[in-house]
Amino acid sequence: MILANGTRYDSAMQDRILDSLCARLNQRLAKPAPAADTVIAAIDRLGRQVAAGAFDEQIAALQIDNAEQYKNMAIRLLRRDYLEFKVRTELGADFSADRVTNPPQGLAPLRVLTRPLGVLLHIAAGNADGLPAFSVAEGLVTGNINLLKLPQADNGLSVAIIEALLKIEPNLADYIYVFDTPSSDLAAIKRMADLSDGIVVWGGETAVAAVRRFAHPGTKLIEWGHRLSFAYLSGDASRQALADLAEHIISTRQLLCSSCQVIYLNTADMDQVRSFCDRFYPVLEAEAQRHLPKTMGAAAALTLRSRTDRLEALLDGHGDKPWHSVLCSLIAKEDSALELSPMLGNVLVKPLPRERILEVLREKKQYLQTVGLCCPPEDREDLTQLLIRAGVTRITTLRNMSVSLPGEAHDGEYPLRRYLRTVNVELTAQTDDGFQE
Amino acid sequence: MSFRSKLFRYSNPYDLSGTEELFASAVRENCSYVYNHCPEYKTILDAEGFFPNRIRSAENLAELPVIPTALFKRRRLLSMPRSRLPVVVTSSGTSGHASQIGFSFGDLWAGLNMVLRVCRKRRLLSLRPCHYVVFGYQPNRKNRTGASKTAFGVTLFTPALSRTYALRWKDGKYVLDLKSVQAAIVKHAKSRFPLRFMGFPAYAWFLMKQMDEQGLRVRLPKGSKLMLGGGWKQFYTEEVDKPVFYALAKKVLGLDEGDIVEFYGAVEHPILYCDCEHHHFHVPIYSRVLIRDVQTLKPVPHGTPGLVNLISPMVRGTPLLSVMPDDLGVLHDNCPCGLDSPYLEILGRVGLQDVKTCAAGAAELLEQMEVSL
Repeated sequence: MILANGTRYDSAMQDRILDSLCARLNQRLAKPAPAADTVIAAIDRLGRQVAAGAFDEQIAALQIDNAEQYKNMAIRLLRRDYLEFKVRTELGADFSADRVTNPPQGLAPLRVLTRPLGVLLHIAAGNADGLPAFSVAEGLVTGNINLLKLPQADNGLSVAIIEALLKIEPNLADYIYVFDTPSSDLAAIKRMADLSDGIVVWGGETAVAAVRRFAHPGTKLIEWGHRLSFAYLSGDASRQALADLAEHIISTRQLLCSSCQVIYLNTADMDQVRSFCDRFYPVLEAEAQRHLPKTMGAAAALTLRSRTDRLEALLDGHGDKPWHSVLCSLIAKEDSALELSPMLGNVLVKPLPRERILEVLREKKQYLQTVGLCCPPEDREDLTQLLIRAGVTRITTLRNMSVSLPGEAHDGEYPLRRYLRTVNVELTAQTDDGFQE
Repeated sequence: MSFRSKLFRYSNPYDLSGTEELFASAVRENCSYVYNHCPEYKTILDAEGFFPNRIRSAENLAELPVIPTALFKRRRLLSMPRSRLPVVVTSSGTSGHASQIGFSFGDLWAGLNMVLRVCRKRRLLSLRPCHYVVFGYQPNRKNRTGASKTAFGVTLFTPALSRTYALRWKDGKYVLDLKSVQAAIVKHAKSRFPLRFMGFPAYAWFLMKQMDEQGLRVRLPKGSKLMLGGGWKQFYTEEVDKPVFYALAKKVLGLDEGDIVEFYGAVEHPILYCDCEHHHFHVPIYSRVLIRDVQTLKPVPHGTPGLVNLISPMVRGTPLLSVMPDDLGVLHDNCPCGLDSPYLEILGRVGLQDVKTCAAGAAELLEQMEVSL
C-alpha cells in the first residue's frame, strides 16, 4: 500500500508514482511550507481523537503491556501545549521568524532565516508501534515534505494515524508520501533517497550502515541508532530504589535503548557484587512474578529456554546458577565491560569503581545513552559530571530510566533542529544590488 | 529378546493398556543403555538425581528428566561412535543451527517394525503400484533432513511407478516446481493406477489453490491418497482449517476426506503418529505423551494445554527417551473412531511474540535465540 497526496494506491504502482514524484515534490517546494502552527493544530485535534477512543481498537490489537499507560502518554504528547513547549525548547521562540544579526565593529548585518531541509526520507524501524508516524510528525512540524518507508513489520497503525491527520488537515496531503517498499528493493529506496535533502534512519547498525552505503555523500543523514543503557549504584541503595530498578527492568523487558542492561556497583570487590545480588534477586523475582508472560506461548518459551540453559550449563560443568529462575536472573561478572544483557529479565551485575568509569564507558562511546544513577546526595553532582564527560546523554533516577521526560533531547540532540537549515541572506542596499535599472 | 523388540513387534499398535508394563521395561532398558554410553546423558541424570532403575511402572515416567529438543541444536549428544550410526539426520531447521540425531541399526529396525504396523492398521500398505508426487525435497546426497528421508520412505509403501518432486534439486539448490507437479497430476489422473501425494501440507495447499484458480479439475483413480506431514513451517500464517482443506481436495482432485492421511513426527521423536478417520493423532504403543504446565513443567490432566513431552524407548543412538519440542499441545480422550488411546492435538509453537527492541545488538541476539530455542 502506498499513500500519496492523501490517496491510497496499490504497492504495484510504486514505480509509476516514483516516476512522477520529482515533479510533484518540486511543485510543492516552490510554495511556502505550512506554518508550524497549522501542523500543531492538526496534531492537537488528532490527540483529542485518540483520547476519545478513535484508535482504541488498533491499540488493543498491538497486545502490548500497559497499553493504557502508552495511550495516556500519547495523548499528553500530542496536546498543543506540549507541542508548543517542545518546539520552544528545541528551537527557541518564533524560530521561523526572520532575524537580522547585529555584529560588532560596524560589520554588516545579515538576514537569518530558519527553513525546513526540504524533503526528508524517513526509514522507520519496526521496533516501536506508531514510531514511523511520530518521525513524520517531527518532519511536518518543521515544514518538511516527508517520504516514509514503512518498516517490514508494520502493523498499519502508522498509516491509520497519518490518514486521520490528513482528514483533519487535508492541506498536508502533499507533504506526506508513505511507501511499503521492502528493504530488499534497494533501487526504489535509492530513488527516494536521491529525491531527499535528508534521510532520517531509525534502526540498528545494519540499517544505518546500509543507508550510509547508498546515500549521496552530500545528503544529510539523521541517524537514530540503537543504544545501551545501564544503572550505576554507589553506596547502599534503598529498598525503594531497588524496587524501582526491578520495575524498570521487568516492565521494559530490557528491550529499549534506555533499558538497563548492566547494573554497575561502585566497587572493585566481587564479594560486594555477590552480596548485592543476594539482596536484589528477591526483589527482581517478586517483580517478575507480578508481570507473568501474558500468552501461554511466551511462558512456554521462557520455560523451555530456561530448561535448555540449565542442561547446557550442567554439560559445561557448572552447577545450578545462583540468582536464577525461569522468569529472571542476575548474572554476576567480574569484568566491567558495558554490553548487551540476555534481556527479558536477565541482567548483568558488574563492579565498576568510580575511578574506572571513564575508561570503561569510552570503550562503548558509540552506544551510550541513559544512566539510572543511585548514590548519596553529596556524590550526585560529581558523579553526574563524570558520567557526562564519559559520554552519556541522559541521566535519570532508577525509576525513570525509560520514562519520556518532558522536553528531553534524543541521544544528545534536539531532533527538530536537525530537520532545519539556517539560511543567510546578505542585506542589500537599493544602490548596491547589482540590478541595472 | 529385548523389551524394545517385544514392544515394537507387538501386534496392536494402539493397545496402550496392554503394553503398560512392557513399555516401562523398555524405557528402563533404554535409559540404562544410554546412561551408560552417553556421558552427557549421565551428567544430566546424575545432576537431577535420577537413576534408570527408578522406572518401575507407567506411573513414574513423568520423573524422567526431560530434554528440550533445542539442546540437540546446541550440543551433539550421541551414545555410540559414528561408525555404529548408519543414519545421522539433521532436523529440518529453516536456518542456522540444526540438530544432529544419530540412529543405530537396532533403532532403524524398531522403526521399520513400527511403520509397518501403523500403516497396515491404516491400510496404507499395498502391492498395487502407485504413482507418487512428493511435496518435498528430491533426495540428494547433500540433504540430510529427516523430512526428505520420511517423504521418500513413504513412497515405498507400495511399488512406485514414478516419483515427481515439488522441490527439485537444480543447479546446486532446491527450487519449487509446482508446474511439473501439476502436469504430472493431470497425466496420472488418466492412469489405471492410483496416485499418492506425500509431503508438506503448505505445498499441497498452494498447488490445489493454483489448480482451482485455473479452473483445473481432475478425478484421481480410486485408491489415490493425499498424505501430509511436516507441518506448515514458514507458511504458518497461511495455515487453513482442515475442513477448508478437505473441501478443496474434493473439488480439484476428487479425493474424499477418508483419502487424506496426515502424519506427525519429529526427528527428535521419530514415532509415526498417523491420523485416524477423524484426523486425530492417537498415541501409539511406542510412545507415551505427557502434557506439562508451561511454567512448572508438572504434568497436567488430559484436556489441559501445555508443553508436549514425548517419551519413547525407540532410539539408543541419541538420548531421545524423553524430549520436549517447542510445540504446545493438548491430549484428548474419547475419539469416535473407537481407539481408546488418547490423541494429541498440536496447538502451535511456543514463541516470544512480537519482540520489538531498540537496544544495541538486541535484534540480532533475539533472532539467534529463536533459532536455537
